[in-house]
Amino acid sequence: MAIDSGTWINVGFYIYVSIAFAILALGFNLQWGYTGLFNAGIAGFFLIGAYTAAFAITPPTPPSIGYPGHLGGFSLPLPVGAVLAMVASGAVAALVALPTVRLRADYLAIATLAFAEVLRIFAINLESITAGTIGIPGLPAPVEFNPPDAFLNATVKVAVSAALILVLLLVLYFMAESPWGRVLRAIREDEEATMALGKNTFQYKLQAFALGGALMGLAGWLFVITLNYIEPTGSSAATTLGFAPAVTFSVWVMVIVGGAGNLRGSVVGAFVIYGFQWLSVQLKDLAPTELKEGIPYLRLMIVGVLLIVLIIYRPEGILRERKRVLR
Amino acid sequence: MAVIFLTFLAGLAALFGISILQYTLAGFRLSSIVIVAAIGLTVIYGIRGFANFAYGDLMTLGAYVALFVNMNLALSLIWGAIVSFLALAVVGILLEVLIFSRLEGRGPVPPIVASVGVGLIIQNGINWGGTTQQWIFRIPAVTEIPIVPGIGFHWIRDFGTFVVGIVFVVSVHILLTYTNLGKAMRATADNLELAKATGINTKRVTYAAWALSCSFASTAGILLGLIGVLSPTMGFNVILLIFAAVIVGGIGSPYGAVLGGLVIGLSQEMSVPLLIWLERPDVLHLEHSTAYKVAIPFIVMIGVLIFRPWGIAGRPPAFARRVFFMERLTQVLGRRGDATEPVQGEGGG
Repeated sequence: MAIDSGTWINVGFYIYVSIAFAILALGFNLQWGYTGLFNAGIAGFFLIGAYTAAFAITPPTPPSIGYPGHLGGFSLPLPVGAVLAMVASGAVAALVALPTVRLRADYLAIATLAFAEVLRIFAINLESITAGTIGIPGLPAPVEFNPPDAFLNATVKVAVSAALILVLLLVLYFMAESPWGRVLRAIREDEEATMALGKNTFQYKLQAFALGGALMGLAGWLFVITLNYIEPTGSSAATTLGFAPAVTFSVWVMVIVGGAGNLRGSVVGAFVIYGFQWLSVQLKDLAPTELKEGIPYLRLMIVGVLLIVLIIYRPEGILRERKRVLR
Repeated sequence: MAVIFLTFLAGLAALFGISILQYTLAGFRLSSIVIVAAIGLTVIYGIRGFANFAYGDLMTLGAYVALFVNMNLALSLIWGAIVSFLALAVVGILLEVLIFSRLEGRGPVPPIVASVGVGLIIQNGINWGGTTQQWIFRIPAVTEIPIVPGIGFHWIRDFGTFVVGIVFVVSVHILLTYTNLGKAMRATADNLELAKATGINTKRVTYAAWALSCSFASTAGILLGLIGVLSPTMGFNVILLIFAAVIVGGIGSPYGAVLGGLVIGLSQEMSVPLLIWLERPDVLHLEHSTAYKVAIPFIVMIGVLIFRPWGIAGRPPAFARRVFFMERLTQVLGRRGDATEPVQGEGGG
């Protein structure tokens, strides 16, 4: 073996979590980067996808002493779970978009953030459906090895997520370059002018928002099959792996760092920002003890500083959107 | 008005038992806090035109400054409130100078992103540099006065928050109606260019608005700490409540904020008996039903956003009512499809 299996499992974790974040970022990029719809409820659509997938693909778990049980346990195949997660998140996104997508960006942000928080309150408290804060453990991995093999397991997860993101990038590339994608960018630049050209901008915005939501749902599915455990609290604000608002803010940073309005930017942003977070966990043991406790907080403070500095000095991100000139 | 409300309350008490009074009391207590915060938030909204997502964390910061004075310097909480009020005014002006003035004229999204950054820094700065545990203010011991069996009245927690709420509302009214600064603020909020043209120093007005907004945040944060505990996320947890109050009242209108604060505070606390009823096995058997009370204000807010986006108190711009109504109507009738996309001109590039 070229590298020892512990390192590979660790690096694999970094890769597939980054890819889950990259899919979230692609969804947000479709909504904000292309269409200009500022969604502050990313965590909410992520949550819907994750829970839908979890309900669909787990074996049934009856309630027992110390476990409230949860909805479903339909033991469906994993790809079916992915489709269901996308459909559920996309449908909810469309429902949310119907009344809110016409609103100004700030109203939209407040309404979507409120929506995500309400969802989280429900996920925490509706114990008979979501198992509450205990969460749903033992979610199936893409391939179950017998006997369990952590090395192969990590490899399969990396392969599945890498394949997924490549397919997504290809599809999204063609969508963004299509006439449909051009209308979205036109709406972002000048909605009234686009309307004047006879486009039903409301419909396009609805589609972009719903598709972005569906992508976030897909990220939820990937989260479920790779981390194999979900719970709704993300209790301390410092956790970014979960459904707390901090996830939403991290995705913003990823898209802004990478550069809004271009696909590579979202992926690069996700790998850079999550890499920074992953490294801070990896290097935790090297840090002096009095600093150790504070690392998650320090990291979120740096995220905050990055948000401010980037939005002031480099709003176009590392990879700026390609200027398109009509010929 | 007051008579009608008291009669209404008496009716409620007769119908649902005396415990409804307890929820009403809690509702007014929360309303006072939400009103103070919502006024502060809406002032900046009106003048700078963006949603300050750091507002909740500014409340937390205010509460912790007061806590520092209260605990470490062992002074009364009143002193803590005064120091915190002034300190946050400075923080507000610094925020404008260092960050938000650079984002002027770039639309609503960049300042929102920056304000989330400010919030993250404050919240996690307290977690990191200070303490992650919960604190309470040191206040003089008061015995609760029983009104009716089971319902106590705490002089500081109940009466204090009401008084502070009323004092702040009255002083804002005086400021906006009788002082030059207040009139200049209203003019700037109404139309920045026009205000400039009439010779108002809009820069100064903006600083004043930031100072006012953030010092109101500090007081609201202290009141919030007074009725509960102080924790680094205390402010962030109520930010949506305050946005709800601002939107319900109509963005940018301090008077609307008062009304919105009342609606939001009362609807959250007075929904509790309803939720408890839903918990009964023969009704809905909803688990942990009272945890959902924090979702009620959002439902009110979403309703307002859909049907009256200018707020329940605000008046829509003269043409907006008609336009909005027609838009809604055509949407309902599905007539918008008339503007079908032409097939030609789509291809090529």
